[in-house]
Amino acid sequence: MQRTTTQTGLLYTIISNLRMFYEGSRLSYIALFHWLRPSTYLASKIIMPLNQILFFTFLGEFSGQNTRDFYVIGNAVQMAAISGIYGVTMSIGGDRWAGTLPYLFGAPSSRLVMFLGRAFFHILDGAVGVIFGLVLGVLVLGLDLSQADPLLLLLAIIAATISSSGLGLLLGSVSLVTVNVWFFNNTLYFLLLLFSGANIARDDMPAWMVAVGDILPLTRSIEAARRVAAGGSFDDISGLLTVEVLLGLFYASFGFTFFRWIEFQARRRGTIDRM
Amino acid sequence: MSIAIEVQNLRRVYRASTSILGREKKEIVAVSDVSFDIKQGELFGLLGPNGAGKTTTVKMLATLLIPTSGTATIAGYDVVHQAQKVRESIGFIFGGERGLYWRLSGEDNLRYFASLYRLDPSEAKKRIPYLIELVGLKGRENEKIEGYSRGMKQRLHIARTLLHDPDILFLDEPTIGLDPVGARELRSIVRDLQSEKKTILLTTHYMFEADALCDRIGVIKHGEIVALDTPQNLKQGVQDLSVIEMEVYGIGSEVLDKLRAQPHVDSVSLEDREQKQALVIQSSHGSEIVQDVINNLNGYRVERVVVREPTLEDAYVRLVGG
Ligand SMILES: Nc1ncnc2c1ncn2[C@@H]1O[C@H](COP(=O)(O)OP(=O)(O)OP(=O)(O)O)[C@@H](O)[C@H]1O
Ligand SMILES: [Mg+2]
Repeated sequence: MQRTTTQTGLLYTIISNLRMFYEGSRLSYIALFHWLRPSTYLASKIIMPLNQILFFTFLGEFSGQNTRDFYVIGNAVQMAAISGIYGVTMSIGGDRWAGTLPYLFGAPSSRLVMFLGRAFFHILDGAVGVIFGLVLGVLVLGLDLSQADPLLLLLAIIAATISSSGLGLLLGSVSLVTVNVWFFNNTLYFLLLLFSGANIARDDMPAWMVAVGDILPLTRSIEAARRVAAGGSFDDISGLLTVEVLLGLFYASFGFTFFRWIEFQARRRGTIDRM
Repeated sequence: MSIAIEVQNLRRVYRASTSILGREKKEIVAVSDVSFDIKQGELFGLLGPNGAGKTTTVKMLATLLIPTSGTATIAGYDVVHQAQKVRESIGFIFGGERGLYWRLSGEDNLRYFASLYRLDPSEAKKRIPYLIELVGLKGRENEKIEGYSRGMKQRLHIARTLLHDPDILFLDEPTIGLDPVGARELRSIVRDLQSEKKTILLTTHYMFEADALCDRIGVIKHGEIVALDTPQNLKQGVQDLSVIEMEVYGIGSEVLDKLRAQPHVDSVSLEDREQKQALVIQSSHGSEIVQDVINNLNGYRVERVVVREPTLEDAYVRLVGG
């Protein structure tokens, strides 16, 4: 008897916690994501990807290094970084501008849940962005996905958004204390364009560039997406995606540690409303 | 009655850099040595001039700032070592309209903060409409708050801080910047909370507000409590005083100095009001010295001379100097 009540009690707690997490994530996404006006949102989902994909595809094709599909897939997956880096950073750093930090830091909620909640919708949104990019690629540039298992492709996409959001969580924490958030964000976005293999085949890179790519998000999910497009199976990508997700978790936990450190410093130095 | 808030020798020193490169550090003693108790259900006012240390005190009690030394317990929990427990038992607002999510509606703001206070979603569903009604925002709750007036935002802050139904509230200048009607509405909300037996620490610069609301008042100056009593007793302390108020024109500081040097004059203050000035003199001899004062103002235009009983403001002015 006792046991059933605790079990239903536990189930109830889990469900209500999940609902709280979902609600908090959804509202923080709406509250803090400045691009969330229909026009700007669509621009970020269609015009930006289209620009980038066309630009690099034509540039790449012109240089004749790789196939058209190579660039289309690389740049479509790279779209994950728009949500992951820019979106998540806004969701963490936005509290600084809203003046809500005292109320966040004064709340008894779990900081980890609060922190991860800020990324949750951007992970989903980033996946939508990559899918948009691939659809544009198919429609406009004749990307061939006939060999691809859609489910595996989706896995690669989710891994890409998780890992880039992990980096975004770190950058978001940094944005709470730096003046120029955009400098960091743009630099990283640019680094990803160069080093992740989106536009330069990793086989053609010097060793040091490969090494940089190894510690960046997206590198492995881009590779996995290309393998899936070429008809690869789960076994061909599982290793890549595992490391990709772990890398994202590493950045996220580093970001979280930094976030807690900022919170502690703010209480110690009295800078909570001066940040 | 049991103690809800206990503050002992609380002190907070800030380090601020004085040069651009931040090499030279200056120490600012914001709160020097503050002790007081607040009983359960009591409405305690903290008054003091700008920079006296009110907000710093509130921040320490609200776990947002670690004291340099001293201790404070809230509902029996230590503000440093049991911060999490303290946070669950308190609500707080810092005056002004910031601290809300402008792109969300009033209701969604409350929903978000409800999730931060771990309110069960089904509970939040009942609680939020109740609070919206309580703070008089019914009918406007679905509008984005970027379109709210200042008063509406400040009332929404009150609703926000009541989400988890805390027993203890810190209200740092809740009526700041509100028009008289808005301020009155907010005071009536505070009164409702008082009748619900909440323990409230209120800071304000409006003396009549403190007089009307507070059970006890602490006056803080340069980070130290210089008086702590009921509003009645504080006023009693200046019963020997009477206050002469007059409207004058074109008076300069040398005249004020001259007045201050007069026998039986306790304090003199001058406030500019459009073309005229309001001269306020505190004295233990009241109407007896009016003639002396007027003689000293020979050559200046003087109108509307009133001698009145001291108010809390007069008690305050005597305590903090003026
Ligand atoms: N983060 C900070 N760093 C350095 N000095 C600070 C900081 N916060 C406050 N101070 C200083 O500490 C002193 C007390 O400030 P506090 O904000 O507590 O005063 P207050 O009584 O709330 O004043 P007001 O009535 O103007 O709100 C002031 O001299 C202020 O300049
Ligand atoms: Mg203050």
